[in-house]
Amino acid sequence: MHKTALLLAVLLPAGASALAAQTEYYARLGAVGASDLLRDFIVQEITVRQSVAPMLALGGSLPIGSAGYRAGLEATLASGGFHSKEGGAETDLGTLRTATAMLDVEGPILREFRWRLGLGGIKYWPSDDEGIFLEGGPLRFLAGAGLDYRHPVLQKWDLLAGLRYDFHRFTTDQLDRRGFGQTQGVSRVSLSVGLSRSAR
Amino acid sequence: MTRIPRWPAVGLALALGACSDIAPPVRNDLYEWRLIVPNATSTALDSLSFQWPHDRLPVRIWAEDAAGLPGYVAGGIAAWRPAFLYDEFDATLVGDSAAADVIVRASSPPGPALSRVRLHAVAPECDGATDLDISDDHTQLRLPVRVYVNPGFTPDAAALDRCMALTTTHELGHALGIFRHSPETTDLMYSDPTVEAPTERDLGTAEILYHVKPNLVPVNGER
Repeated sequence: MHKTALLLAVLLPAGASALAAQTEYYARLGAVGASDLLRDFIVQEITVRQSVAPMLALGGSLPIGSAGYRAGLEATLASGGFHSKEGGAETDLGTLRTATAMLDVEGPILREFRWRLGLGGIKYWPSDDEGIFLEGGPLRFLAGAGLDYRHPVLQKWDLLAGLRYDFHRFTTDQLDRRGFGQTQGVSRVSLSVGLSRSAR
Repeated sequence: MTRIPRWPAVGLALALGACSDIAPPVRNDLYEWRLIVPNATSTALDSLSFQWPHDRLPVRIWAEDAAGLPGYVAGGIAAWRPAFLYDEFDATLVGDSAAADVIVRASSPPGPALSRVRLHAVAPECDGATDLDISDDHTQLRLPVRVYVNPGFTPDAAALDRCMALTTTHELGHALGIFRHSPETTDLMYSDPTVEAPTERDLGTAEILYHVKPNLVPVNGER
């Protein structure tokens, strides 16, 4: 019993230390744009869309096997305006924040380029619980893919540029309550640059 | 028998699902909200439609501090809010009646000579009225809109509370632009309402009227 405990006491910190040494962390800043959140028709067509918004992305990854694949977690936060458009007239509907969290896998393509695929969720946080968000912002399932470019700039640091595409189906409790059926497919594209602490 | 591969069908279904849009509701369950009045210069009728312009939002409502009226008005504003998905209308309580677009008093309305158009709501425990001062040429609504919610004498406090709440919400429905009564007895905008909140038909009517071009514009009148 004492031997087992002693072995664990020696191996666990060593394992954690090895894991920490292989973990990569990164932070990127950029912008995200999205397709229409909603298409409605009252007398004439009404669309609701988020403006292009500044975005912060944070993430980390661990190696899977020895072929250059990694698994990780990436979270983003974006905050910007959203507006409706009806007959050419735009109405400012306030501020809309979105947060995403995605579990992803990545692998090498060639040289400094890597692909990325992920699944996760997106949460909408409107500044005011009004209009389509009268009953709060939804949490929706999210799927995404991306392309990373890494270029070493220091011994342990890489310049990291990320191009991301993700997709989710949008609706809100208030839209359900007012009789909307199905959901709206929303595509988002982001471009961001930052630094990654490499596991080299 | 040849087995049909399922994956292409699943992939096609997913692709079609990804492309489909949200389905808006069919908005045809509504009633006439326009005020229909004889034209001043001919035998024709004018259908008057009004909405608060976006640059005047939020509509400033002053409520007399009597009979719990500020609370009923706040409840009435909240009750109409679900009608508006795209920031078409909003209202807020203000403390200065001189700066208000809508004035709500806990009393009977003055004599009929003082009002151009009066819309009534009657319930056993209380009654309400909304006075609209419309110009002779039927192009302007002179502000403020004046709303009266008059508590009756009843020993049943719960019934009075319910009546004040639904009557205030009904009158605010007139103040936001529903200038007629619903023909349906189950709607809040029926002339003798019994339900406590706007129905889907009430909300749908309020929503539609904010997407139809109005022919009355608000102007500041005498206070």
